[in-house]
Amino acid sequence: MENEVLVSEKDTKQYIVVKIGSEQYGFDINYIDNIVRMQRITRVPKAQRYFKGIINLRGEIVAVMSIRLKMELEDDEFSDASRIIILKIQDLGTVGIIVDEVKEIVELGTDDIERQSKQDKNDKNTFISGIGKHGDELISLFDIYAVVDESENI
Amino acid sequence: MDVSQYLEIFIDETSEHLQSLSDCIMSLEKEPDNKDTINEVFRAAHSLKGMAGTMGFKRMQHLTHDMEDVFQEVRSDKIVVNSKMIDILFKCLDALDKYLETIKETSDEGTEDNQAIIKELNDFIAQSEGQEVSTEKPSVSSEPETGAEKKFLKIDLTNEEKEAIRNTKDDENHIYGFTVYIHPECLLKAARAFLVFQAVEDFGEVVVYRPNPHDIEDEKFELDFSFFLIASEQLDKIIPAVKAVSEITSVLAEEIQPERFEQKEEKEEKEEQPKQETTESAVTPQAELQQKAQPAAVKKTAKKPVTSRTVRVDIEKLDALMNQVSELIIAKNGLASISMTEGGNFENQAFHEQIEYLERITTNLHESVMQVRMVPIESVVNKYPRMIRDLSRKLDKKMELFMSGEDTELDRTVVDQIGDPLQHLLRNSADHGLESAEVRKERGKPETGAIYLNAFQEGNNVIIEVSDDGNGIDTEKVKEKAIQRGVITPEQAEIMDQKEIVNLLFMPSFSMAKKITDISGRGVGLDVVRSNIEALGGDVEVSSRLGAGSKFTVRLPLTLAIIQVLMVEIRNEKYAVALGSIQNIEDIPVNEIRYVEAKEVIHLRGLVIPIIRMDKILDIEPLEEEPENLTVVIVKKGDKYAGLVVDSLIGQQEIVIKSLGKFIRNNKVISGATILGDGEVALILDVNALI
Repeated sequence: MENEVLVSEKDTKQYIVVKIGSEQYGFDINYIDNIVRMQRITRVPKAQRYFKGIINLRGEIVAVMSIRLKMELEDDEFSDASRIIILKIQDLGTVGIIVDEVKEIVELGTDDIERQSKQDKNDKNTFISGIGKHGDELISLFDIYAVVDESENI
Repeated sequence: MDVSQYLEIFIDETSEHLQSLSDCIMSLEKEPDNKDTINEVFRAAHSLKGMAGTMGFKRMQHLTHDMEDVFQEVRSDKIVVNSKMIDILFKCLDALDKYLETIKETSDEGTEDNQAIIKELNDFIAQSEGQEVSTEKPSVSSEPETGAEKKFLKIDLTNEEKEAIRNTKDDENHIYGFTVYIHPECLLKAARAFLVFQAVEDFGEVVVYRPNPHDIEDEKFELDFSFFLIASEQLDKIIPAVKAVSEITSVLAEEIQPERFEQKEEKEEKEEQPKQETTESAVTPQAELQQKAQPAAVKKTAKKPVTSRTVRVDIEKLDALMNQVSELIIAKNGLASISMTEGGNFENQAFHEQIEYLERITTNLHESVMQVRMVPIESVVNKYPRMIRDLSRKLDKKMELFMSGEDTELDRTVVDQIGDPLQHLLRNSADHGLESAEVRKERGKPETGAIYLNAFQEGNNVIIEVSDDGNGIDTEKVKEKAIQRGVITPEQAEIMDQKEIVNLLFMPSFSMAKKITDISGRGVGLDVVRSNIEALGGDVEVSSRLGAGSKFTVRLPLTLAIIQVLMVEIRNEKYAVALGSIQNIEDIPVNEIRYVEAKEVIHLRGLVIPIIRMDKILDIEPLEEEPENLTVVIVKKGDKYAGLVVDSLIGQQEIVIKSLGKFIRNNKVISGATILGDGEVALILDVNALI
């Protein structure tokens, strides 16, 4: 929904392409505040399973989510390439998302994106708003609000 | 000069006057013959009227004026205070409150005339007097004061002013001199003057001010000020406009022939001797004026130190200051942790001393900032007696509110938000707690029910208790209802103790009222009270004895941002425990642990204290081999204790509380997080949730 508003203003949008497992995913660059290296995460007891804990981001406390666990994939294995994407979302605040690797920034036009209709609730596609085609590569574009939405997962 | 700059003062002072009116009317109801109270009421109403008039809030002024009439009648023993009158007066106060609210929001009083209330007031006076309406109006305005003189005639004009007059004056218009006297009791003289100028500027241009505009704006004048107006209208049209400004005692004005100045000037130029005379005669009044102004100025400067002791500061500025202090403390903690890791080196001795010094300073600084933010809860609770009175009427139950500890201080943000939850608890007591007079009589209780509000400080917390001597909570009914609503199962209900059952009241949408009234029981209930209080970092509990009454205990943190904690370690995780809730620390041999109802307890100096295995609570892998001695942090909440089992103690520290944010699910055990000196994040344990 929020994408459409922006698309109408501008025909192309920038996405940060990341790797999670063997697939490529894209984050709308408008929501990205920062990308940081893996750091020590303080576990928070009794939190949702997919919240790895909290980190200190320049004096601010930021909750860090495992998108793998949220999408019901295998748990993260941290490597040198692992990064935390810091998203800043209006009214909700800042949240970190762990990804295996950050690859590149791509520009996608409306024509390059194939809208994805929401299907099964527990399907990992719940979090995907569309598929972007960049050259011969396919990038699943995250629906940021669905990713951070907590209402269904309590 | 703009009247809006007085708006804030007006709002503050008006709410103060309204509060004192409300208090006085309450006590007037109890002792209708107390002359002091009547006088006080009269004064407050009079000031209110004056201020509303000054600010140009005509409707508000009208209403207070009529209230004042009633008080005047009471003062002169023409009417006796009765409950009907009190009711009307309270209606007036509510109406005034509404005006004030509207003014706060829109800077305007709105359009509600409150004719109905004014009529009621007037009917009341007429009724009790048998139509003999008092001719002696209490209003003091328009009564010319003796000794008023036309000071404008003595104004000595400067050359610039003469120039200005010459420039503005043409054949069409006239020059008028004005001297305006303000009532001695007027509170905002400068604002009055402003209104006068506003009124006359509709007619023409003010060219000369005595004292000068700047001094008038700063209230550097006694009771009068003079000015010259150049206008085309006739004088008799302008004077009523000036007189319409309230609290003006008299307005003296006449037309001045321009020749006057010219003559003066000629005299000045030609004759030396008379010139001295004229200047003398012109100077003397000015000197007089100055002399008059002088004592005023002296008085002011003498008074100044007293008045300027308090400064009004926007709470946001204080928040900003607090944030800076927080940052400073984090930086200090960082420095301290470096000094620890590089310690052992004797060359660092001086460095350590400086760090300690810095620590003392930041702690003191924090305390000072905290102090600045502290306000007594009085401002919130002093509206409750009135509320209880209204409830008493509405519910047709006799009740009285007893309050203590109104001077207990809390952080401003907490005070601002505690009003609603407390109000809800009081309403709850009045509505559901207290029985009707008949039932009370049957039970051998005094007919008038008592509601108590007690506030006091306990360690790092402030406790506010709301209790009543009413019916108490019927746990059987609560149980029944909880089962009926599916909150608990009948099996669960079986094993719950009294306390657990009573606390079911705080579950969402659990309204106990058998009949829905507009006082409480609108679906939003105690669960809202609890979530409001928890949002402030506090908690609420209830204890009750059937037939004897119930007591709600609200516990609030003294500070919101920075606290002293004890850092503890459990395996490799660090946690902070607020120092304020720690009673002491014990080394307990494992073999001293006893079991009561299958729960681990320790016996300590006559107390049986349950122990809590923190690793279990926090989902940490248990130790493979239990040590012989356990480190137990004994924490206290009210009269309850618990022993928290930790691995080791790190030490005492001052930390800045940070929120976990909106994403991580609200976690009862953890109340927040903090950043340690080395940049590491530690979690803060919520002791109140553990016990």
